[in-house]
Amino acid sequence: MTRLRRTIRDNAVPLALISPAILIILMVVLLPLIFSFYTSFTNYRLIRPDSLWQWIGTRNYERVLGDWDFWVAFGRTVLFLTVVLNLELLFGLGLALLVNRITWGQRTMRTIMMFPMMFSPILVGFQFKYLFNDTIGLVNNGLQALGLTREAIPFLVDRWLAFFSIAFAEIWMSTSIFAILILAGLFAMPKDPIEAAKVDGCSNWQVFRHITLPFLMPFIYIAMTIRSLDVARAYDIVDVMTGGGPAGRTELLWTLIARTAYDDARMGRANAMAYVSILLSIFFTWFFFRKLMAARKHLGAF
Amino acid sequence: MSTRTKNILTWIVTFVIMLIICLPGLWIILSAFRTNGEILTKPAIWIPQNLTLDNFRAIFGYGENVVGIPVASYFRNSLVISVTSTFVAVLIGMTGGYAFARYTFPGKAATFLWLMLSRTVPGIALSLPLFIIWSRMGIIDTQFGVILVYTAINVPFTIWLTEGFFRQVPRDLNEAAQIDGCTPWQAFWKIEFPLAKSGIASAGIFAFLTSWNEYALASQLTRSTDSKTLPVGLMDFTAQFTIDWAGMCAMAVIIIVPALILTFLVQKHLIAGLTFGGVKG
Amino acid sequence: MAKFLKSTALGMAAFAIAGSAAAQDYGNFDGYTLRVKLIGGAQYEPLYTLIPQWEEATGATVDILSRKSHFELDREMKQDIASGNIDYCVFSNHTNFAPQYDTMTEPLDGLIAADVIADFSPLVISHATVGDALFSLPRHSDVSNMFYVKSLYEDADNKAKFKAAYGYDLAPPDTWAQASDQAKFFSNPPDHYGTHFAGKDEGITGRFYEMLIAEGGKLLNDDMSPAFNSEAGVRALNFFVDLYQSGAVPAGTTNYVWDDLGLGFAAGAVAWDLDWAGWAAYFNGSDSKIGGDVGVALAPMGSSGKRTGWSGSHSFSVTKDCDNKEAAASFLTFLTSHDSQMHEARLGLLPTRSQVWTDVIAEFEAADNDFMVEVFSVWGESMANHAFTPPLIAEWGEISNALWPRLQAAVLGDMTAEEALKKASDEVTEVMEDAGHL
Repeated sequence: MTRLRRTIRDNAVPLALISPAILIILMVVLLPLIFSFYTSFTNYRLIRPDSLWQWIGTRNYERVLGDWDFWVAFGRTVLFLTVVLNLELLFGLGLALLVNRITWGQRTMRTIMMFPMMFSPILVGFQFKYLFNDTIGLVNNGLQALGLTREAIPFLVDRWLAFFSIAFAEIWMSTSIFAILILAGLFAMPKDPIEAAKVDGCSNWQVFRHITLPFLMPFIYIAMTIRSLDVARAYDIVDVMTGGGPAGRTELLWTLIARTAYDDARMGRANAMAYVSILLSIFFTWFFFRKLMAARKHLGAF
Repeated sequence: MSTRTKNILTWIVTFVIMLIICLPGLWIILSAFRTNGEILTKPAIWIPQNLTLDNFRAIFGYGENVVGIPVASYFRNSLVISVTSTFVAVLIGMTGGYAFARYTFPGKAATFLWLMLSRTVPGIALSLPLFIIWSRMGIIDTQFGVILVYTAINVPFTIWLTEGFFRQVPRDLNEAAQIDGCTPWQAFWKIEFPLAKSGIASAGIFAFLTSWNEYALASQLTRSTDSKTLPVGLMDFTAQFTIDWAGMCAMAVIIIVPALILTFLVQKHLIAGLTFGGVKG
Repeated sequence: MAKFLKSTALGMAAFAIAGSAAAQDYGNFDGYTLRVKLIGGAQYEPLYTLIPQWEEATGATVDILSRKSHFELDREMKQDIASGNIDYCVFSNHTNFAPQYDTMTEPLDGLIAADVIADFSPLVISHATVGDALFSLPRHSDVSNMFYVKSLYEDADNKAKFKAAYGYDLAPPDTWAQASDQAKFFSNPPDHYGTHFAGKDEGITGRFYEMLIAEGGKLLNDDMSPAFNSEAGVRALNFFVDLYQSGAVPAGTTNYVWDDLGLGFAAGAVAWDLDWAGWAAYFNGSDSKIGGDVGVALAPMGSSGKRTGWSGSHSFSVTKDCDNKEAAASFLTFLTSHDSQMHEARLGLLPTRSQVWTDVIAEFEAADNDFMVEVFSVWGESMANHAFTPPLIAEWGEISNALWPRLQAAVLGDMTAEEALKKASDEVTEVMEDAGHL
């Protein structure tokens, strides 16, 4: 007890400084999590408030873990995260390299580049729902008008096209974040090594591969970490575009959880699923965070 | 090819790519000035026949037989909520970031990591427990309730960016200032804060955009014009049997434009802030 | 649709106020503020323009706390129950979902005068009754019947070709088998399809459910265990599978819900459309590509000889925690009064009072609106004789959520109808176990 008191006294200033942050996160994140952790062991159903006290042990977890559909959604979420994050990185990198070469009007160009970031996820969902509609959608209308196809392409129905469509929407919305973070990296980059390499006769590709890219890696990991933090925002998009359907073809963990929680009003079960999905997010973030730390050390900047 | 032509060519190529990227968004903006019958039809009408401001007039309740959307309230709520939560998040994040950068204390690394991980909890997993707790506290459907939540989700990222920044400001500067007779607070405010300004600005813009566009949590925690934000207001255009897509697009323009202007204004700081904040430390 | 309803509504509002009868005594609640949550949206709002009349008659004030779409209101209501935060008196309800809100609902039997209830259509009142208690007072009903494009059916060339291909005369379908033939006959993708159907959420569950009944099956056994995994169930599901697999419906139909369907039919994209009455005026109006060319017919029969008729009524309920139940009951009576229902019926919504059916048809006749006369005759017949609701249990929503992804899977060909129903049946069993029914 005295040791604890001494620790607090010795570190009074930093503790005081971080305590507001910790307090607000305890209140907004931890408190609800404790509540939902408890309910995941009950038969809690929204419309039966008394069921909050109906302890059922690990039945929710047993059912969730034994549910094939849940694992399919789980797998699809992992696939979605992997595909989306990597493509966003790739496109973001390309975009950043391109904008970095612009000398005139770059500020405007950067703002244009960030244009999709201004869109609320829910709006992005509606936008692509209409663009990809199979009868009145702009994409189908365009393809048919150009004579590229006679068929109405069921973008939001076909197993792979539907997955492609939701991934496309998510990539459209979030590539800018990668681009802007990588662009920041390019700005910070010292020019001398590149010029020296060019004098030595290195090709553009060699310069990129051996000088630019290693320097950018920490920025890339930062972008990855940030994106994996809030990638669950894709829920709004998918929910509007397909609602996880048809026939569960675009079901991600988040749509499954939301439907179980609100439409079915089975909160206990939904929270059991939510815990599994939180573990997944934590894993992704942790993974990139580790990479980031390693890259920082590598740069010798830490 | 001269450098000049090459530059011009790069510019044009970039511009065209940007345009393609922006197309889906521009489609929304264009749709805001068209009628539902013209946007959603087959065969498509590619060249707008008649551009109209009716969608905007309808939102503001002008025109014949329209039920207006309380867009002024939504706008005010969005503004108050986003600005306040951004301000508070930056303030709290900055003090936290300063502590992580300047002091060592037991459990520092673990605390830092757990603060970051708190952001990974999906909104959908938080929304219902939050709703129940908030309604017991009587802050459901209040701006305060939403501000509290947005502040919390923006704090981790702010800590991260500002921490890197303060670490980069040499410790000696603060000490020198204190020797010169400044209080620690003055030393921070006059010496360290200005140097970390871009980091704070970029944390701020990210926090603002997150709050401005957030839907999943706001849709649970807000109910009436007392606290409903613009993205939640978008759903006013959907009914059981119909969706007024043109109206929704008009509303979208009202949401997007302020965010766009703000982003343009803080551009310079944004890039600089991200550069030093995250990595160099 | 939205604009159309609004403009008609306002025109009618003036008319209604002029003809308003203060015959009914709504009581005196001077200075009282009645807090209510109402369903919002174009087709519901016109009724609320009458509220000032009630305020004037009783001296009370109405404070509308929420006015949002059915889905949002449903979510809000569940949250209110969960948090025990029910500080209002009246809420918009729906007969098919009323059992979900039973813990917060005050039965109306003692509150609303028996002679008032007697004026309502008995079938609709029975739909609003859960167990022995009247949970809500129906405001207007909904059921789907056939809309079709007249010119397609009257075209001599089409008639000849159809007869040659199917061996019987082309006419608006009386059985679902005929409807299926005609859908295939008229389909010409990607520009034109035979029909389309609600392909997700409660939409496809409801459509499957009514087909199940029309095929002679049932959803649940008396002991609440699932009964839809039957031969009738397979036949019902295969009706949709067959339409989809034969290309008679747009491939995207599995994502369609009501707005897509209504807009699609009005755009002339399909030959027939099983849809709700609320669309009738819009379909035949000037905003629609097939305006003036719309025919209506009673929903066809399944193989058991029974017609489809998935139905439900929007209604109003009083909360258990209400501090002035008399005022609340008076408000309900007012909102569902003869005058109020006439107001909604003129817009094409289906009344719940027997007298209003007669009166509104007479009014349309007087105005020479033959189309609406026909619509109300067909829908009146449907509401009086063929309409039925889903089982009135709180778990209908959960059953629907267990069913529809499986129905979609069968429609898309991911699994056979038998497999889909088997899986759905297992899930529904689990739902009913959790709910304590089994």
